[in-house]
Amino acid sequence: MCADRIYEDLSPLRKRSRIVWLAIEIAFAGLVFFYWKIQVLDYRKYWAQAEANRTREIALPAPRGVLTDRTGKILLADNRASFKASFIRENTKDFEGSIREAGRLLDLDPAIIRERIEKYRSLPAFRSIVVKDELSLKEVTLIEARRGERPELIVETEPKRLYPFGAFAAHALGYLQELTPDELRTIYKGRRAGDMVGKSGVEATYENDLVGREGQLVEVVDSIGRKRSERENVEPKPSPGLRLTLDFDLQAKAQDLLKGKEGAVVVLSPQTGEILALASSPTFDPNKFINRFTPEEWVGLIASPDKPLLNRAVQGLYSPGSTFKIVMATGGLESGAITAATSFFCGGKIEIYGHEFSCMGSHGALTLPDAIRFSCNIFFYNVGRRMGIETIADYARRMGLGRKTGIDIPGEATGLVPTPEWKKKTQKAVWFPGETISVAIGQGPLQVTPLQIAAVTAVVANRGRAIIPHFLAGETAPAGTDADPGLSAANVEQVVEGMWRSVNAGGSGQGAQVQGFEVCGKTGSTQTMSREQADRISAQSKQRKTHSWFTGFAPRNDPQIVVSVLIEFGGLGGATAAPVAKELFGIYKDKYARSHPSAGN
Amino acid sequence: MLDRIHPREIDWVLIGLLLVNSAIGLVLVQSASHFLHGGFAVRQAVWILASLILLFLLLTVDYKILMGFVPYIYVFLFLVLLVILVLGKAERGAKSWVGLAFMGGQPSELAKVVVILMLARVFAEFKSRYVTAAATVLSGAVTAGPLLLIALQPDLGTALSIAPLWLGSLVLAGLNRRTLVIILIAVVVLSFFSWQFLLKDYQKTRLKTIINPLQDPRGSGYHVLQSKIAIGSGGVVGKGFMKGSQSQLRFLPARHTDFIFSVLGEEFGFLGVCVVLGAYFLLLARIFRAVGQTRDRAGLYIVFLCGCMVTVPFMVNVLMIIGLFPVTGVPIPLLSYGGSSLLSTYLAVGLVLNVKLRRFAYV
Repeated sequence: MCADRIYEDLSPLRKRSRIVWLAIEIAFAGLVFFYWKIQVLDYRKYWAQAEANRTREIALPAPRGVLTDRTGKILLADNRASFKASFIRENTKDFEGSIREAGRLLDLDPAIIRERIEKYRSLPAFRSIVVKDELSLKEVTLIEARRGERPELIVETEPKRLYPFGAFAAHALGYLQELTPDELRTIYKGRRAGDMVGKSGVEATYENDLVGREGQLVEVVDSIGRKRSERENVEPKPSPGLRLTLDFDLQAKAQDLLKGKEGAVVVLSPQTGEILALASSPTFDPNKFINRFTPEEWVGLIASPDKPLLNRAVQGLYSPGSTFKIVMATGGLESGAITAATSFFCGGKIEIYGHEFSCMGSHGALTLPDAIRFSCNIFFYNVGRRMGIETIADYARRMGLGRKTGIDIPGEATGLVPTPEWKKKTQKAVWFPGETISVAIGQGPLQVTPLQIAAVTAVVANRGRAIIPHFLAGETAPAGTDADPGLSAANVEQVVEGMWRSVNAGGSGQGAQVQGFEVCGKTGSTQTMSREQADRISAQSKQRKTHSWFTGFAPRNDPQIVVSVLIEFGGLGGATAAPVAKELFGIYKDKYARSHPSAGN
Repeated sequence: MLDRIHPREIDWVLIGLLLVNSAIGLVLVQSASHFLHGGFAVRQAVWILASLILLFLLLTVDYKILMGFVPYIYVFLFLVLLVILVLGKAERGAKSWVGLAFMGGQPSELAKVVVILMLARVFAEFKSRYVTAAATVLSGAVTAGPLLLIALQPDLGTALSIAPLWLGSLVLAGLNRRTLVIILIAVVVLSFFSWQFLLKDYQKTRLKTIINPLQDPRGSGYHVLQSKIAIGSGGVVGKGFMKGSQSQLRFLPARHTDFIFSVLGEEFGFLGVCVVLGAYFLLLARIFRAVGQTRDRAGLYIVFLCGCMVTVPFMVNVLMIIGLFPVTGVPIPLLSYGGSSLLSTYLAVGLVLNVKLRRFAYV
């Protein structure tokens, strides 16, 4: 019994213990499997994550390529250094606390910061999001001093666009704006939130040539974001910049002449299509767009009734008025509706299709050149009646109206060349012959941009060859055009003769006459005015005047320059627009005439 | 009370395995903390030496004599935990660290050893084929006392590593189907109750995190995610001693304590993990083998429960760090830095040696 008490039967307990031990053995086998899965099978995935953990990629932005005038010497768009504060969501555990602290350091409402960050919610958490721009030195110090405790808040240096001449050629150069989240997902995939991209003008068209290549710095960091070492450093490669065709003096003068007016000026070379000046008034200062987060100014620019952002030279649609007579004259001769010998009698008024149409004066019997010289309506009524609307539309399109010129800035307007088909489609109405008579003198539904008028003028100056207007200088610039208007030089010469007389023989364009520089041109005044424009004029208690046109080229036999001017509500073209053109022709002559011996004659 | 010890009866293999695993722990602690102030590895080495001395001292006392004192030790422990809880209210944070003047460590860890002895005493004279309701309640009460006091500190990790000792004793005593069902129901009810009323938000989040550690990589899932990255990026051979980017650049949290095994995985790779798993397996195997070499019921319980005491936190930890178990502050015995954990493990192994040493003794 005694032995029994001492050596009791413990075998059931030992058996249970062996079962538990068996379970532990199985668990160990399981452990080996789990660790094998993580360390051997999924090794690459975790290795990549560990690398991402310990390295930090810092983008080194390349300064945006500069834009220069045609000499390549005057910088129209430059860069300067600026500091911005960015937020990295991944580096904070207490998002709200971080935002509050950021707000305190940057003197910003935390709600604004949250809104900024929310805007880019869809981006990965390690990407930095700009929360404040143009930091003061004090703000930079405040943030840098907290780099250890606030790894989510960083200071980034950024080259900023600077337009040294403010509003100079603003509509041609364009402006930069912050990428929208949509653009970031679609067209600018490689870019980063908060990047500035060209939104209009040359800045937009040549965005990819101007951004250059971003550099990259790879740093090894610890868990709180402190830098331990550098691994790779790829230097940023700035874009070499672009040389534009703009002529500083002509552009400055054009803007000066437009000051206080609403209108547009286009100066280009008829030989190459190079744009020497393109001005639209009123204008704006593109430097204003460089700073993020000043929506008030932006809204102000958009909402302003005189639309400073509208590029009147390429987007503004106007009735061409009598400048259309250039097209009528060319088309009339080309189509055979008239010849150089055809003459019509102007008695001040004429009755066509049961309506009475009038002329500015009573010009008697005249042939084409004098009809252009005096801008005789009755002559062109007759030409229009003979040609018919389809033929008119055909020549208008051939010479460059009703389609884009192909200028290298975005947003160009197409304009409108009306046809019976167009009227049927848009207004469900039949074309009346009387409307053809209106179109013949550039009224009616016709719509053109000042740039199109300049392009038409270039066709005449070139005696039939069309060009594509452009800003980019150098050999890469597009020259010539795919659509040859197919005009005979002899016919065009008749039109040139008329335009010469208009300026140099006491015609309607004599206001543009320049001594020693054979200017050929055509004026125009347009009565049409949209309802809202009329309302605006009344509201501003301005006199209800017509839009004023002048378009011309010089010198007659070796055309080097085309000038087209539109002044809104400027009155008669000869009185307002022609003198503006005269000034520009004068500048060009003084600057370049000596280098072109054939000029000046 | 003191006994003659025959050195050749001592299981030197077990002591050897204990020291091998301690040495592995020392290497890992050094790698995980060499860049910190505090000389953790040196302190760990000192603790190993001290614990080894206490282990040999423990061998001199026959465990059967010890069994007689256990109730007093148990009451003393209970009072100490109570005092800590009351005094601890004044201190910040976790209250389980009493000043060095008091006990020089974490009494919560030592509570495990005391609970083992107390359970062994409860079941020493229990001879039914299956465990009875009375025995379940009694052993449960014995375990629940210190467990609740520790849980209230709050040190959920240590508290939860005490509960398996009770379950282990029940398993050993024999669970029939009815008791098993009752226990299962009790566990479900208790879990529900705890979830609703007891668990703090951060503890709930930790549980939820097992299901989806990526739901908030910077929040509660962060630790496990970083740990998995560390282990996975170690690959087959590892990045080398003191060369793990996750541990050296401090992406890994609690590197020298709860996540010491992640350091192993990162720096020594799958091969290192297998070696250490092997060393640990041999240690546990040696302990569980001793179950078959016990003389009496009390001794068998002591050896088995000491085995459980080392096994459970190890399993919990190595599963936790790869996201297969909720994040609880459970260190790995011998490998993780921590004096009182080390001491209690040495004492537990000491008990095993003690029991094994006296397997042939006569009454």
